[in-house]
Amino acid sequence: MSIESPTRRQFLGGTAGGLAGMALQSVLANGEFSIGMHHRPKAKRVVQLFIAGAGSHVDMFDYKPLLEKDDGKPWDPGEKVELFQSNPGNTMRSPWEFTRHGGCGKMLSEIVAPLGEVVDEISFVHNLVGKTGVHSQGMLLQSTGFNRPGFPSAGAWVSHALGSANENLPAFVVLPDHRGYPSNGVKNWSSAFLSAAHQGTVIQPGADPPIVDLFPSGRGGYLTPDSEREGLALLRSLNGNYAAARPGDDRLRARLASYELAARMQLSATDALDVSGESQATKDLYGLSPDGPAVADKVINAVAETEFFGRKCLIARRLLERGVRFVQVWSGADNAFPRRNWDSHEDVERDHGPLALGMSTGAAALIKDLKQRGMLEDTIVHWTTEFGRMPCAQSGKGRDHNPFVFTNWMAGGGVRGGLTLGESDQWGFKPEDPSNPTEVYDIYATMLHLLGIDHTRLTVRADSIDRRLTDVHGRVLTGLL
Amino acid sequence: MLLVIGLSAGMLVGEETWWSLRPLVSPAVPAADGGWGRNVVDRFVHAKMTERGLSPSEEADRPTLIRRLSYDLTGLPPSLEEVEAFAADRSEDAYERVVDRLLASPAYGEHWARHWLDVARYAETHGYDKDQPRENAWPYRDYVIRSLNEDKRWGQFVEEQIAGDVLYPEGPDGVVALGFLAAGPWDLIAHMEVGEGKVDGRIAKHLDRDEMIAGVFNAFMSTTVQCAQCHDHKFDPITMVDYYRLHTIFAAVDRVDRAYAADPEVRREGLVLGQGIEAKEKELKEIEAELARGGGGGGELADLEGSIEALASRLEKGGLQGAEFGYHSRIEKSADVVKWVQVDLGKAVRVESIGLQACYDDFGGIGAGFGFPVRFRVEVSNEEGFAQGVRVIADHGEADFANPALREVAFEVGGIEARYVRVTVTKLAERTGDYMFALGELLVNGESLGGKVTALDSIEAPPRWAERNLVDGRFAKATDPEGPERLAALNVERRRLLEGRAPAGLLERRVVLPAELEDSRRRLRELPGGEKVYAIATEFEPFGRVVPTKGKPREIRLLERGDLRSPKEVMEPGVPPLWEGVEPLLSLPEGHGEGERRAALARYVTDRANPLTWRSVVNRVWSNLFGRGIAATPNDFGRMGELPTHPELLDWLALQFRDEGGQSLKGLHRLLVTSATYRQASTYRPGQAEIDQGARYLWRMNRRRLSAEEIRDSVLLASGQLDRTMGGKSFKDFVIEKPMHSPHYQYHLHDPNDAASHRRTIYRMIVRSQTQPFLTTLDCADPSRSVAVRDESTTGLQALALMNNPFMEVMAGRFAKRLAGEERPVEALFRHGLAREPKELELALFERYRQEHGLENACRIFFSLSEFVYVD
Repeated sequence: MSIESPTRRQFLGGTAGGLAGMALQSVLANGEFSIGMHHRPKAKRVVQLFIAGAGSHVDMFDYKPLLEKDDGKPWDPGEKVELFQSNPGNTMRSPWEFTRHGGCGKMLSEIVAPLGEVVDEISFVHNLVGKTGVHSQGMLLQSTGFNRPGFPSAGAWVSHALGSANENLPAFVVLPDHRGYPSNGVKNWSSAFLSAAHQGTVIQPGADPPIVDLFPSGRGGYLTPDSEREGLALLRSLNGNYAAARPGDDRLRARLASYELAARMQLSATDALDVSGESQATKDLYGLSPDGPAVADKVINAVAETEFFGRKCLIARRLLERGVRFVQVWSGADNAFPRRNWDSHEDVERDHGPLALGMSTGAAALIKDLKQRGMLEDTIVHWTTEFGRMPCAQSGKGRDHNPFVFTNWMAGGGVRGGLTLGESDQWGFKPEDPSNPTEVYDIYATMLHLLGIDHTRLTVRADSIDRRLTDVHGRVLTGLL
Repeated sequence: MLLVIGLSAGMLVGEETWWSLRPLVSPAVPAADGGWGRNVVDRFVHAKMTERGLSPSEEADRPTLIRRLSYDLTGLPPSLEEVEAFAADRSEDAYERVVDRLLASPAYGEHWARHWLDVARYAETHGYDKDQPRENAWPYRDYVIRSLNEDKRWGQFVEEQIAGDVLYPEGPDGVVALGFLAAGPWDLIAHMEVGEGKVDGRIAKHLDRDEMIAGVFNAFMSTTVQCAQCHDHKFDPITMVDYYRLHTIFAAVDRVDRAYAADPEVRREGLVLGQGIEAKEKELKEIEAELARGGGGGGELADLEGSIEALASRLEKGGLQGAEFGYHSRIEKSADVVKWVQVDLGKAVRVESIGLQACYDDFGGIGAGFGFPVRFRVEVSNEEGFAQGVRVIADHGEADFANPALREVAFEVGGIEARYVRVTVTKLAERTGDYMFALGELLVNGESLGGKVTALDSIEAPPRWAERNLVDGRFAKATDPEGPERLAALNVERRRLLEGRAPAGLLERRVVLPAELEDSRRRLRELPGGEKVYAIATEFEPFGRVVPTKGKPREIRLLERGDLRSPKEVMEPGVPPLWEGVEPLLSLPEGHGEGERRAALARYVTDRANPLTWRSVVNRVWSNLFGRGIAATPNDFGRMGELPTHPELLDWLALQFRDEGGQSLKGLHRLLVTSATYRQASTYRPGQAEIDQGARYLWRMNRRRLSAEEIRDSVLLASGQLDRTMGGKSFKDFVIEKPMHSPHYQYHLHDPNDAASHRRTIYRMIVRSQTQPFLTTLDCADPSRSVAVRDESTTGLQALALMNNPFMEVMAGRFAKRLAGEERPVEALFRHGLAREPKELELALFERYRQEHGLENACRIFFSLSEFVYVD
């Protein structure tokens, strides 16, 4: 190898070799799943369900009887509470009923009841805390471990550490909400100081092309399959000569290979995104609409939200099957109006109802489907959001941001199911034990642990610091394993 | 390796100072050896090679040299004519004349500005949530290009970007250069919608200052101070105190569009007015001080002052003041801002009377009755929002209410059942030039009933000021109810006496000056606005919750673990004592302007004795020319960075640049690219590679891939489409959808045929939240962080981008059109695209391909040739 950029040497210097993450090797990967970095892994891949706009824990997963009892009464936590937009209103119960599910008897609300069938696979963490109630910072904290831009996304770290198991597809794929990017946009899946090869590749199923530049647009009308094939042959010949005349430079050989890879990627990606071969039962499981992505959504509704999220979950499964290491699936666009994200300041019932039904149908289908294919045991499903929502009302029917406590859950990949680890207080306002909350660092320490990685040893030097996904924090949540 | 915690460089005893902090001392220049080399640079390089058993490569051929020079100095390839002319030029100085021609080309500034903007984390949107555009960021980009083309002295270039408004006020660049400080990301929601009244807003301000400090130290001094935010820097001699002192330097500024006058006439007038205002403010301050000093004491005045002191002390000791003063609203610039505070009694109560008790606070010498509302009304309701069922108990909205000092102001209610009591203030009380209101206690039926207090806004500074203090049963009671009033009267009398003693001229000036000031300020405001640049400022129209400091720095405290909720001692302006002779606290006069702090920081950075600044800049230039810095981490010369391979050469270059070289970047470039080291071939030599695989010791030149911008510019140039217009507003290669809320920057909707986008890539509008996919795939810099060295990845997605991006498709078509009239189009393809004739095999293969698939396809494939994107 003759590349001697500082970045690459930092990789080698920062960790004791064994990284499949270098740009070249991501091209020349041998098609094998690596077996973890530091210890034997339980999990090989991750699908992260990211809820943009702040999903309300007290309306979905974190049942609080006191809110029902005190509904409409002044909410007095005994301290001054400073919220993002408003002053705390009265105590507000969830608009939905909660019922018990599964062998574990977990209380779930109506809008996430579809998850009831797989709730014994899931473990909940109800005492997560953030740093601020600002969307952008909250989201960066959950996606990168830092509340300011400039740090790699968890998916980029995993790609850097473990590489792809299929050289024909990127290691880290992102399925954004087709209506728009969340706060910070691409920063949530950026590679920052890692190689650009590890940034999340955006796939927009149904768009043409679904991956930027996967196919030519055909502008000018001069392209034919023959011109493409023979053009690649021409490149192989001349670039081969160029590389041969310059021995000792692996970049030039990698570049030759990259054109072959590109051609194979066109086939692999097309195949991964084509759900037409899936059985009707599978399509129904994921709640796909007969209208497909063209389903009517002028007014936010559960049928459309189920189609949107379900289709992404199905494609996520197809990508994971084909060796993609980390898939990020988004629900919720930016904060524009009318609301098509989870930022329910005005009306929890209006937005959370359809969004959560769609999300939970797709998520439940994904867990069931992974399980029936024997993939759940080595696939981590992680549900997260930038923060939670308050137990008190905002302008009558809405809820303001709650960075003081919120919920994450995980399933599969070695996570024990049917557990609840860490509770929030009687309102879902703060952790029950404020001195012992869970933080994003703990979640990622656990995720990396399951992937065979010691989070304190996965480091890359940037700006004078050996940076980690977990900053200088993080403990493995052994209770989940 | 040494570990230094909390020690300044000058304090290191018995330990070796870290290489980058050692003073710059002229090193011994190695003797010329073996006849190799063209200048002093080569002697240093050759000495290291010899030490390691390496030998230099021969000089590259002329076509290779001119292609390398053209890309390295201008970011563009040479034309065929230029290559042929150089190859045929047998004169002694043929090479040097090419170098001079390229350094004189405006494209030089455009290319090297790209390197600097990577470091300066420059983009034209805010980033974070909503990612709104910065329409006026580009003048800073043009400033960088202009400064590089003018070959501005480096020290001045640095100083302008930190404090140009103070140090270079007469030039047009003084303000525009401040775009550097504002170039990084900015959290619009946290600043505009949350604001400094809340913890989240103050965290955002903290992050904002941290971003500026990191920007300055990384870019100019290759030092990472930001690590000292939570603890003393673990590896470099920077303490938390050093770091938080730096916060005071940026404590008065905000990122905002700032007006600057492009017209020198207007600029001069503005400068004169500004100086006049400063002088008048100073005079007014002196008059007040003079009046306060009095005329020497004695007699009536002395008696009076004795009485004042006695009374004040009696009042103080009379249990007049508890620690819990009361409720305090936020502070406004005018009296007519409407505010309210209300008490929720928990349940409906039969209200007979409502009493208001004022506060006592010595702030501004006000004392009793501090902050009592001037016009207000008192209402009750059973609805929290006071939208319905409101009963007005008292309305003093028409005339000013006499300040009650510490007497209770009671209103009869007459037994109304009500749960909520609200005081709405329509005219605020004056403090000293600003306005607010405060109340010590709200009494219902003569007592403090408790309950929950809410207000439109509040300054929560417990124990003194807190909403809950309004109903805590504690308030200032006058043991001598008339005392405060007598004290106030005595103070008025003292003032009258003092004024009586003052010279008449002084008093007259005191009347005239405020009017004159007002007039000057108005004329300054009415000057033609000129242009705007996105920079930092202290005076601007408030927007959202971003309120100008008017130059008054925010208070900075050391934060334990970097946590705003754990503030420690107040910080004074200072700089890290990284070398001998630096005074850690800035010695600035009392009442200095905030700009003086930045000016002091700028002088610190460009201090001749600063060991970092001069090493930093020459290392950056070296890094961009040779593909790897002498120290391979150009943003970090600390203990976590790379050690220099040629430390003596680095020092020699730094001193040469600082002194004899006149801090000329062009001079430095000339020196480096005319060296034999730079002119070597990049050919691989197995024997040498065995000793030094990465050619760190420069036994050959490094081959490099073109940057994303160079590739795009080269494609435009080959296609005959490159528009060389310089400067001005950026082109957009996207379409903005939903601009009002969270703009969607849609690259796929942009038509690559749009001629406005055919300018050099440096003139592209850079978006943070949706980065340009084509350029990002080609390793373009991430504008959210300072990027010293671009990554160079090789991926399948890059192949797809070069083949399929609509821009590439369209340009292949344009290129084909350009070649269509040529008799031998494939030969023309190579001449325009690679500035050379095709070789036999290339001609044969491309000719056959062209005949079968047409010229457009041939052009498209041509752009994917490795030779097109690599420089030997």
